[in-house]
Amino acid sequence: MTSRPDLVLPPRIATWLVSLFVLPEEQSILGDLHEEFCDLASKSGVRFARRWYWRQSLTTIAHLFGAGFCAAPWSTSAAVVGGFVLDGFVHGLPDKVLSAVTDKYLTYWSAHFQAYLWVLKAILIEHFVLSMFVGCIVALAAKGREMVATVTLSLVLFGLAVPAYFALLAEHWPMGEALWWMLFQCAGPFAIVIGGAMVRTRRSRAASSLGRVIRNL
Amino acid sequence: MTDRDYLGEFEHIIVLALLRLEDRAYGVTVRQEIEMRIKREVSIGAVYATLDRLESKGYVKSRRGDPTPERGGRSKRFFRVTAKGVTAVNRTQRALQTMSKGLELIRSY
Repeated sequence: MTSRPDLVLPPRIATWLVSLFVLPEEQSILGDLHEEFCDLASKSGVRFARRWYWRQSLTTIAHLFGAGFCAAPWSTSAAVVGGFVLDGFVHGLPDKVLSAVTDKYLTYWSAHFQAYLWVLKAILIEHFVLSMFVGCIVALAAKGREMVATVTLSLVLFGLAVPAYFALLAEHWPMGEALWWMLFQCAGPFAIVIGGAMVRTRRSRAASSLGRVIRNL
Repeated sequence: MTDRDYLGEFEHIIVLALLRLEDRAYGVTVRQEIEMRIKREVSIGAVYATLDRLESKGYVKSRRGDPTPERGGRSKRFFRVTAKGVTAVNRTQRALQTMSKGLELIRSY
């Protein structure tokens, strides 16, 4: 498939990822990437330009993440610590309730083992939804640095899960079970980042529509 | 931060690029100027992170241009070096020259 370079747009996902880390009023970075992409696409071809765009986007995100943290280290850390405490609280509560229910009606669950498996799947969904909720709260608290705070929190949680995974392996857990446990642990940090991205996208849309209204006045 | 601050390596490079580009200095031209002269791939994020830091120190100032369709409707952000920035780059250059004077012998190691 061939496409005219002047009609080609930069990769949408890469643009969206960069926009998550850029302040709504600071859109010049995306403009610069767009301008250079169009220039490269006409000179060196669309495939080359797309590869360049992805490379630039990923390194740009890394720099914006670092710069965002350094610009407000205390408020970002406070949001991360608050999120860590909230994460422990919200995940502990439903798990305790569920364990209490399953322990109390053990004879029922042993007779309905399929239903018990469904409950276990529900725990995974609950884990994901609650983590997304934590991500949203952290993002709301870290106004302007939603992604920096949520990505930091998810990195902290992931960093805690990795040694625990190796500890399980050291305790001779079967590899398959340990891997499932690790996937379950990774779902939380992933959902936190999704929660942060949701808040960020919503705020960016609100800011850009407000900007349009102001320009039209 | 004091008035005796020196520029970091990348800050130094960015300020020199801004001085070369004069009133044409914005993200794309700064990035391309550095790539062309020192043959090092630089990310636009690194350029902006450094420019923002330099602006917070008062070494550069920025202004916004108008949004253009070839930039997806986004505006350019032009940068220029302030008098304080010129003083800082001169101070850094002098320090580097002083420190490197007489070090030709190092080549023999």
